[in-house]
Formats: sequence, structure tokens, C-alpha cells
Amino acid sequence: MAPDVATPPPHSKRVQAWVYAIMNPLIESLGREIRLLSEGNLSWRSYSRRCEYIRPIREYIESSQWPNYEDFIGDQLNARFREHLTRHDHQVSEVESAAARLFIGLTDSNEFQKQVEDSLERYVSAARAKPQYPDLGTTSDLAKVVAEYLINRTSVLPGHYMTHNFWEDYRGHFEHYHNPPSFQELDQAAAALNDTSKGLLADLEDHRHYFCVTYDIPAAPIPIEKSFSADAYLV
Amino acid sequence: MRMPTSFEGSSCRELLILDTGPIRELVLFHAVDRFRFERLRSDLRFISNPESYRTCTQFIASFRRKTTSASIVAELYRWIRETDPKGQARLWNRVYEDFQNMGMDEEVVRLVEMDLRLVVTFGPVDVSLLELARRHADHNPVLLTIDRALQGECQKAGLHVSLVQEVTLMRR
Repeated sequence: MAPDVATPPPHSKRVQAWVYAIMNPLIESLGREIRLLSEGNLSWRSYSRRCEYIRPIREYIESSQWPNYEDFIGDQLNARFREHLTRHDHQVSEVESAAARLFIGLTDSNEFQKQVEDSLERYVSAARAKPQYPDLGTTSDLAKVVAEYLINRTSVLPGHYMTHNFWEDYRGHFEHYHNPPSFQELDQAAAALNDTSKGLLADLEDHRHYFCVTYDIPAAPIPIEKSFSADAYLV
Repeated sequence: MRMPTSFEGSSCRELLILDTGPIRELVLFHAVDRFRFERLRSDLRFISNPESYRTCTQFIASFRRKTTSASIVAELYRWIRETDPKGQARLWNRVYEDFQNMGMDEEVVRLVEMDLRLVVTFGPVDVSLLELARRHADHNPVLLTIDRALQGECQKAGLHVSLVQEVTLMRR
């Protein structure tokens, strides 16, 4: 009699591949994503127009494991994730687009440019008495950096960054830009993504637990100690 | 309220030369602390908490210019390619952003410019840093490293050198 291919057997290697190569990296990455979103840090970069640490689902999985990902989303046991995963990726794209529109809006705004110019003038003036204040270049370059900091709600920069002192001294001059309506679209897109990611994370954790119990597999691979006994040579 | 470090408020020094170790520690700590790449935490040696990170970054910030040699970038490559392949792009991204954000300069030191005896003993990477220090002697450079052997060689040559592990302990 042919085996029942629809139901994996206990200790199924296929289910282990789903848990170890797909679900575990997604659980780790979504946890990071939710933490960043809850801090308002989108890790958005103007040079790439993308969020550096908030990515479409497939990018959280090692490329050599993409066949296992296809298998995971194609199997009936995991059918409930399909729509959820697609929605996540669509919302990442929405966040990135909203951030890019906001970036263009800010850097094209005369009021914003003027604000950066004024702050830079004050900084340059202060720098005469503070030799540790580095040269920050032109207003136009600095405006791009400030817009990126605002989008990522950057509060404190590491002390060795060139813009550390500028941002410490003048961050407050730009905080009103976080008020609606300028940030409304981005905030809504980020909040929607945060809700989806939280739901997805909880579902994945439940599903992993179900697989571990049902197929009697550990939640993470157990390192196998090297053995020099004859068993080590048995295949 | 945080305590100021001993170098905050001191007059600005001119040039800091960075070895691989301090760059690797800065990149790792930022990745672990800011972006929660917990698996990298065990690789941290000297910058292991926010206070030591803050102290070290303030020390670096007390220099007007920062530079390193192209050999150090090759050594960073050797380190990153030994890490988990999944995270390599992110580590490179952190290195790029740290270099850019600290305004790091990068200089080529040709092998034939290096002292052969020193290359045999210390290897071309360490000697490239010694050569940079010699090249910029007018700017009274300080070399930042985690390598005690390199520290000893610098001191013998009359160069200023600081160890990350000592910098992170510097408090007022």
C-alpha cells in the first residue's frame, strides 16, 4: 500500500526543514522587525530607498533554502500563511514608498531647506569654539541626512558619527515635522505593517509548537557531538 | 544622568588611525545592541555594553580625522567571510555605514614602502598602520588597536597608541 503523502510521518525531515530553515529565521527576523517598528526606526536609507532591516519575507530566508520555502507555502498544512505573507510584503513596500515620498517632500520643501540651513549656520558658528565639531558639508547634503533621521525617528547617534553633535544640538528644531499631516501616511503604513508582523509572528510560533509536538521534533536542531567511536563511521 | 568621559571637553586631537579590531568591535556592538543580532554577541571582546561603546565612540570622536589602511579593509573581508553567510551582507552594510558616518579616510600603503624586517615579524597589515603613523607624523597620530604586540612595537618606535580595552575603562 502506498504511504499517505499528505501527512508527514513522525520526525519528518521535510517538516524539520520548514521549522529550521523557514520558520525559525522568520520568527527571529519578525521579532527584530517588530522591535524596530515599535521604536519608530524603519532603518530606511535614502541611497537604496529601502528599509535596511525590514525586508520582504523571502529575504529573511537563505537563498539555498528557497525551495523549502516554496514547499512550505505550497503545502496545505501551511495554507493559512499564504495571504498573511503576501500582505506583509505588500505592506513593507507601502512603508518604503511612503518613506520615499516623505523624503522627497521634505528635501524639496523650502521651509525644511531653510531650517537645515539655519541650523547648519549655527553649528558652523559654534564649531569655531569647538574644534571637535567636524565639517558637515553643504546644506543640500545635510538636508538628506536630516530627512533620513526624521523618517527613522533617530534620537541619539553614536558619538563617533560626524553628525553626532549636530543632531544632539539641533534635533529639537526638526521635531515638529513628526506632527501630522506630514508623517501621517508613513505612520499609518508602519502601524499596519507592525500589526501584520505581530500576527504573523504569533501564528508562526503557534505553528512551530504544533509541528514540534505533532511530529516530535526539537524546535531547533541539536548540535551533534563528534564521536570517534565506530558509530561515527556508520552511514 | 551620564558621567562625562575623560576626553569629552578636552581639546581636539588631529588624527586617529584605526586597526581592524576596534572597527570590528564597533560594527558588532552596533549590530547586536541596535539591531539585535544576538548571535554575534559572543564575538564581542572589549566593547560589551552600552557604556563601553559610548566611551570608545567618544574617544574616537575626540579626533578631528580618522583613517585606516586598505589592508585593514582586506582584513575585515577575511573576518566577514568566516561569519554566517546569511549575515555577511548586513555586516558589510554596517561597515559601510560606520566608515561613512565617521568620515573614515582610507589610504594605500604599498608593500615596497614597508620595512621588510617588520613585515617578516608582524605581517603587512600591522606594518601598513605603522607606515601610516610615520607618514602622518606631523599630525601627532594615535593608533587605536586591540593588539598588545602591535602596541609594544608602536611604543618602541615612539608612536602614540591606545588599546580599546584600556580606552573603555577611561572615566573621569
